[in-house]
Amino acid sequence: MSNRKTIRLTVNGRHYEREVEARLTLADFIRHELHLGGTHVGCEHGICGACTILIDGSSARACLTLAVQADGANITTVEGLRNRETGQLHPIQQAFVDAHGLQCGFCTPGFIMTTLELLGENPDPTDEEIKEALGGNLCRCTGYQSILDSVRLAASRINTATAA
Amino acid sequence: MAIDIPTRTDQLPTSATRFIGKAVNRIEDPALVSGTVEFIDNLSLPGMLHCAILRSPHPHARITGIDVSAALALPGVEAVLTGEDVERWCDPCFTAPEGWGNYCLAVGKVRFVGEPVVAVAATSRYIAEDALELVQVEYDLLDPVCNPDEAMAPGAPLVFENRATNVIQSRTYTWGEVDRVFAEADRIVSRQFRWNRVGANPTETFGCICQWDLADNSLTCRGAYQTPRFMGIGRAASLRLPANKVKIISHAQGGGFGGKGGPRGTDIAALLSRKTDGRPVKYIEDRMEYLLAGGGQSWDRYYDAAIALKADGTVTGFKVRLVDDQGAGAEGYGTISAAKPLAAFTGNYRIEAAFYDLTLVATNRAPTYPYRGYGPPPHNLVLESLMDVAARELALDPAELRRRNYIGPEQFPYTVPSGNEYDSGNYAGVLDRVLELADYKSLRQSQAKARTEGRLVGIGVVSTVEPGVFDWNAYATVGVPGVGVPEGVKVGIDVFGGVTVAVGFNLQGQGQFTVAAQVVADYLGVEMNTVKVTTASTDVALPHFGQGGSRLGVAVTGAILGACEKLRGIFCRVVAHVMQTDPEQIELLNGRLQMKGAPAHGMSIAEVAGLMLSRSDLLPPGVEPCPEASFVWVSPNRNLPDDQGRCRSYLTAAAATHVVQVEIDRDTGQVAILGYYIVDDCGTRLNPASVEGQLQGGVAQGVGAALYEEYVYDAQCQPLVSTFVDYLVPSIHEVPMTVKDHLVTPSPIAPLGAKGCGEGAIHTTPAALLCAINDALAPLGLECRETPASPRRLWQLLHDKA
Repeated sequence: MSNRKTIRLTVNGRHYEREVEARLTLADFIRHELHLGGTHVGCEHGICGACTILIDGSSARACLTLAVQADGANITTVEGLRNRETGQLHPIQQAFVDAHGLQCGFCTPGFIMTTLELLGENPDPTDEEIKEALGGNLCRCTGYQSILDSVRLAASRINTATAA
Repeated sequence: MAIDIPTRTDQLPTSATRFIGKAVNRIEDPALVSGTVEFIDNLSLPGMLHCAILRSPHPHARITGIDVSAALALPGVEAVLTGEDVERWCDPCFTAPEGWGNYCLAVGKVRFVGEPVVAVAATSRYIAEDALELVQVEYDLLDPVCNPDEAMAPGAPLVFENRATNVIQSRTYTWGEVDRVFAEADRIVSRQFRWNRVGANPTETFGCICQWDLADNSLTCRGAYQTPRFMGIGRAASLRLPANKVKIISHAQGGGFGGKGGPRGTDIAALLSRKTDGRPVKYIEDRMEYLLAGGGQSWDRYYDAAIALKADGTVTGFKVRLVDDQGAGAEGYGTISAAKPLAAFTGNYRIEAAFYDLTLVATNRAPTYPYRGYGPPPHNLVLESLMDVAARELALDPAELRRRNYIGPEQFPYTVPSGNEYDSGNYAGVLDRVLELADYKSLRQSQAKARTEGRLVGIGVVSTVEPGVFDWNAYATVGVPGVGVPEGVKVGIDVFGGVTVAVGFNLQGQGQFTVAAQVVADYLGVEMNTVKVTTASTDVALPHFGQGGSRLGVAVTGAILGACEKLRGIFCRVVAHVMQTDPEQIELLNGRLQMKGAPAHGMSIAEVAGLMLSRSDLLPPGVEPCPEASFVWVSPNRNLPDDQGRCRSYLTAAAATHVVQVEIDRDTGQVAILGYYIVDDCGTRLNPASVEGQLQGGVAQGVGAALYEEYVYDAQCQPLVSTFVDYLVPSIHEVPMTVKDHLVTPSPIAPLGAKGCGEGAIHTTPAALLCAINDALAPLGLECRETPASPRRLWQLLHDKA
């Protein structure tokens, strides 16, 4: 395929310049060109939300976005959350661990990225607001109860830390 | 020497357990939340090619021509696989019963929409999919058989032409004096039910990377494999290799639920590797492929069932006729699914006689596969629905009718008519607790009030038994002989005292690595974070099965305890030798091997391991310098079945009662869940958070099966479901946040008293919801006897009535 284009973008604070096929999805680009495997692909048609990432701070489906559409974008994936120096988990990640908010863990990066967006916009969400935010992410293992608990726990910890 | 496996936590060599029984964080989770776990699509190998598969658009057709020349000419395409290659190199997959298997890729004709016809290996998945568009396949269409009625009609087209019939299996079981109890019954309640196809749909589809070694004629398969050795044996059979030349490396799986699939995709990728001189070939199934013909379609069932009752509500007999649409072949072990109810045929009740007539039929739908719970969820829905009909006819509260029929706590071990022995239970206690938790009286009052307002509010009270720790003997009468399902582990201690547990399976979500770490840490008195749990590939792993049949938490606990008991024996000998005393004078307690009565004299586990590895001069004669032990656990005291399938099959019997209140919207048919309460009893809870997680996950899948999910086929056997827009997996909005409590009635025979509980609420939730729906409909004289009770179906029911 000759339809190639050079894109420049920032992912988790690192700058990349790559030549890509116009048809390459952003999910495949992140996973297989940048080797950031935490953005999982569950349906490739925008329903399951496993591939949720943040593009310029807003959640997006990496499977429904083309890499060329991300030219100039600032992207955050789940790999960008942990402290690089210490390895310490982000409070949202730690809350999912502490509240048993995952089982197989395949959908979890998507839930975490959606939660990151939610708590950025609404640090103290009600249960209904959490459900509204997470309504576009499917989990086949947990039945969502422990995910709801995880988001509540993350919110309360972040708020406590902010207040202190 | 026989090893005794502790059945109680107070038998462990610790003054108090620090990890077992506690909701400790899972050792799996830091990597999972970081996105660093190596799911198979995260792995690339040098020179790796990518596979894409062209699938049949027809349910039944003869292949008259395939032209792959244009595809082969596309730059980047390295090989194209067709039925000709497959017929030359393979056998059809083995099945139970035998002889109803397809090749991995269609040979001569296609039997279902989505059956692989041609596969391509190319330098990228994108190019491989381009190549599929260049393949030309010509078909002569054949009449499909779309359901069991069509399949069993005289002169019906044959799905497998080497068979004289479309009936895969047909047999009956008679337990006790069924005719007599039905003849003497004061009341007989009978109904027909239709359970439509649902399926596992793990968030990660199946994927693998296969590499054929042409010099050694051996195969290595890395992938999302549940039951690695079982998978390897199957591949050896279909690919005509000795079993020891197939190595399976199981990667972490993004869920499985029995319905991951894998045999077909693995064989295709393996043959493409063979055809490209041994380059690794990756195949990642996409969601549309999974939904069309992946590993997870299950339970396409037609039931006709009855219970016999005495005037006082005592249920004396239960008859079930099941016709099961297996789809195009038996590759998914559907006989097991149909026979599994034998392990708990009569549920929680003292029903003295029962009858089971099962007929498994081949059609041109996609082949069915296992799914969480395997056979019982639809079976339980039938039994519990009949209990509710009986309660209505007798004007008894459904909770009361169940209570009158429960097996009493003093009756365990209890042998059910279908032969299995329940280990322990307290069903009335579970019921009492859940009625209290739900404030059942208030629920009924609020229902009565709602009814006066014309609202359709209903309550379901449903009890089920979850057979735990499956055994092959349960299936000996339907073509899968064997007694015992081994699970082996190796526990080793390194020179610094670090503990490694090698198991034969990989992560799937249930948290068994954590359970393994909890058990070994409590036994050896070490910290959980010093324990490494790792997966051995099949070429070096001990005999194992892995996840399946609510077994692995119990089985891996038994295996680790066995290995630890062996280690303790060896360590006592070493320490006794060093201390110049007898091994009987040494005990293990809280991580120290010490002199009985003089605990100051002793050595830590780490010190003993270090000594064994570095001071052979101090070892007693006959002791190897090896602080490691292996143990292969198998359920104790299992036996062969009689001709009616009766045997001690599943080791444990967990129980649960759910109370759910629903409201049906008259205008839309939508069911709202107003409240959901669960009390379960699975004996010792090794990790309570994991148990609750399994329960709640089962609720979600039960909600899907009862209300939303369905593999819809049209009258020509064309699937109408191919995306998550059509196949409705419940989201956070549909799944109730349940109120839970539990009882603990330990198993007297299972390791640490824990019962299998991984399938959890899927045994109960579909029945509970349908019973609640029918309770809501009762004032209208309506009954829904088909799942899913979708808005469309319920609206139609209400609309037809109007």
